[in-house]
Amino acid sequence: MNGGSKRSLGIFKKNSELQTVVTITVLFVAAVLLYQVVNSLVTRGFVEYPSFIYPSNLFNILQQNAAVGIMALGMTVIMLTGTIDLSVGMMTSLVAIFIAKAVMDWDVPPGMAIFYALLICVGIEMFMGFIIAWLNVESFIITLGGMIACRGIALLISNSQEVAMRQNLAWFKSNVFDLFNPEGIKVFNLKLNLPYYVILFFILTVITWAILKYTKFGRRVYAIGNNPQAAFLSGINVKLTRLMAFVFNGVCVAVGATMQLVRVNTGIITVGQNMEIDVIAAVVIGGVAMSGGKGSVMGAFIGAILMGTITNAMTIMRIQQEWQFLVKGLIIIAAVAAGAVSEMFRHRSAMRRKRTGVADTAAKA
Amino acid sequence: MAEPVLRLIDVSKTFPGVRALSGIDFDLLPGEVHCICGENGAGKSTLIKILSGAYQPDAGGVIEFEGKPRVLNPRQAIALGIQTIYQEHNIFPHLSVTENIFAGLEIMKGLKVDFAAMREKARETLEYLHCAFGPDTLVGELKSGERKLVEIAKALVFQRKVIILDEPTASFSASEIDMLLEVVRKVVDAGIAVVYISHHLDEVFRLGGRVTVLRDGEHVLTADSRELTEAELVRSMVGRDVSAFYSRDFFPRGEVALEARNLSGNGVRDVSFKAYRGQCLGFAGMVGSGRSELMTLLMGGAKKEAGQVLVFGEEVDFRQPSAAIRRKLCFITEDRQYTGLFLKHSIGRNSFVANLVNMKRQLISPREDYAVGERYIRELGTKATSADTLAVELSGGNQQKVVLAKWFNTQGEIYIFDEPTRGIDVGAKMEIYHIMMDLMAQGKCIVMVSSDMPEIVSMSDRVIVMKGGRVAGELEREDISEENILSYSIGGVAV
Repeated sequence: MNGGSKRSLGIFKKNSELQTVVTITVLFVAAVLLYQVVNSLVTRGFVEYPSFIYPSNLFNILQQNAAVGIMALGMTVIMLTGTIDLSVGMMTSLVAIFIAKAVMDWDVPPGMAIFYALLICVGIEMFMGFIIAWLNVESFIITLGGMIACRGIALLISNSQEVAMRQNLAWFKSNVFDLFNPEGIKVFNLKLNLPYYVILFFILTVITWAILKYTKFGRRVYAIGNNPQAAFLSGINVKLTRLMAFVFNGVCVAVGATMQLVRVNTGIITVGQNMEIDVIAAVVIGGVAMSGGKGSVMGAFIGAILMGTITNAMTIMRIQQEWQFLVKGLIIIAAVAAGAVSEMFRHRSAMRRKRTGVADTAAKA
Repeated sequence: MAEPVLRLIDVSKTFPGVRALSGIDFDLLPGEVHCICGENGAGKSTLIKILSGAYQPDAGGVIEFEGKPRVLNPRQAIALGIQTIYQEHNIFPHLSVTENIFAGLEIMKGLKVDFAAMREKARETLEYLHCAFGPDTLVGELKSGERKLVEIAKALVFQRKVIILDEPTASFSASEIDMLLEVVRKVVDAGIAVVYISHHLDEVFRLGGRVTVLRDGEHVLTADSRELTEAELVRSMVGRDVSAFYSRDFFPRGEVALEARNLSGNGVRDVSFKAYRGQCLGFAGMVGSGRSELMTLLMGGAKKEAGQVLVFGEEVDFRQPSAAIRRKLCFITEDRQYTGLFLKHSIGRNSFVANLVNMKRQLISPREDYAVGERYIRELGTKATSADTLAVELSGGNQQKVVLAKWFNTQGEIYIFDEPTRGIDVGAKMEIYHIMMDLMAQGKCIVMVSSDMPEIVSMSDRVIVMKGGRVAGELEREDISEENILSYSIGGVAV
């Protein structure tokens, strides 16, 4: 049997989506480094260490993508069961507005506000999951409805206005390095900042990975995503498993949304706008099949970070927002297309192997 | 004698590992109805697909249409005037009868669809066929028998020369059958040749044309049905070489493992049987007679409407397959790819999944399913590099062994096999039979659905023949023969 280390590296093997995006990321990193080197040579006359690979910038990338990453964990589970959840972006806005409103206007302690937000998310996801699983309807449509409804609730609560917070959730932003040295740790004269919520992202990734790999629930998720009919006849409660996946996603959305609020500090409808796109993109380029049953959480984790890296590189190169959208869109298309093409080749070679295998045994007999 | 409109000369069709048709000669005269009979798997479907251009015959075979040799593809077959009407309806329920008849072939007046002309033509044809519905009726509102007439009307409107009807009466009531046979006679009167495939021998005799019998892909006889008796026809459909049978050992009958009393639901009506340890209870019948539906019902995969199921003497009420698995039932389904396997997953994972129900703990190590996968690869002789091999990469026989591994791992006592060797080559077939024998030797109970005659005759201790969702007859070991099974499944003909 293969060793553990070999297996965790194996995530890149047979995962053409990730391979493609890694390749593209490498290109972007090379481009941004070249850009910065040439830029410093032209303006200052000497080669400067590129700020893109300052440790502080790398930590920046993690900060910028932790919330999306956390939500990608839940989305991975959802998509592995063969469904999808479009409502996560607007639910993020709802959570952000709810917590901000609760803390600022209704005098709820921040801890309790977060807890209530968690209940709300789990409740909404349970509702949608129940309808999707028991009535066996298209998750795309139901969660689209959920997305619009969440937007409505969020706007109602906030009277369509933004709710600014006064650093009530600042604890989540505390720098891990301050624990070791209150002065902070500096590299290249820039203070390294690794907030607690990034650590939370790592921890949740490991937990989700373990759930999918080492629990009965994980087996069931993969099984129903691959073949719901066979799963049902093999004794798996398909409906309950689907519902559980939505509940798990609710927890991830609540946590991710809270972390997003921590960063922006304002409860406003735009907090989560289009966030579902980033989340689904991360999961898809991480190699999770839209049809379900294939892919892993580590893929989604890496997918989120790679997309973040590319965005960061483009920002440093002063590429306009509009162009960034275009590039990101093309990357997703390229990744999924590459996945489909390599799947085709693999299928073909498998068939060939199968045929020659049959011929072998026939020849022996 | 008239010149045949369609003629096959020495046509064969080979699929990897199977010879579906060998050296068939067949001719069809204008204005005749020519019935094709044979058991499941005799080659009827393959023959139709060759006539309709969906399959190409092997090299050497010739298809002649109006005296000229032709290579057919589906579009060309239609262009020449060969219309195939398949079992499933090929219609648009939200469109009217007229629109259905002319779908894709509308009559045009300049750039505009000439609806009046289309409607008039449809009306004329429906009138000729004595249809009880008009050209404006929505097809979705018609009964299944009438929908078939719409397709026949289409063939008439476009003046097809040959109509192929593939088991047209499969889901018909008696009055619908009468109606269809009447229409077929009118079609024939109009000079069109009809190929009529049916399991129901009485229809063959009522139509009264020529009959061709196929058996195991070979041509057995072509004769005028008026010169044949039903018994002769049945005999010609069965008579088979003894070497195709598997000789097995028999074991003493143990306690009753699975029992049904007046069970109804999922299209099955009032079924009772007892299955014993150490024995195989076979379920025979034509495709669509409700056997698989019964098995799904027993597993808790469909809702029980009435009756009782007893497992080892205790009454059970399975709401889900998981409940059945806990009671030691196993269900090796008919379609490995769609309802048995997780194709994108490894052998190990596949072998492990059904037993999840029986496990108390929540945590599982990936090493466990690898180990289970490897164990059954060894025990069942599955040809695979390791338990990490994906199920999709295996051949049919080896895939079936993975399905078996999945169930053996649940420590099941009652094994329901639905078409255990469908699509499996001969060598692997024998291996599956040996595995089934081993199960019986260990005192397990086997319930087997099979449309493969030699299989059901040689493997079963007792056979229940189903027809139309009900039990049509029960045969003890000494009475099990192809003739007896066939006579029950086509409706109580004494042979």
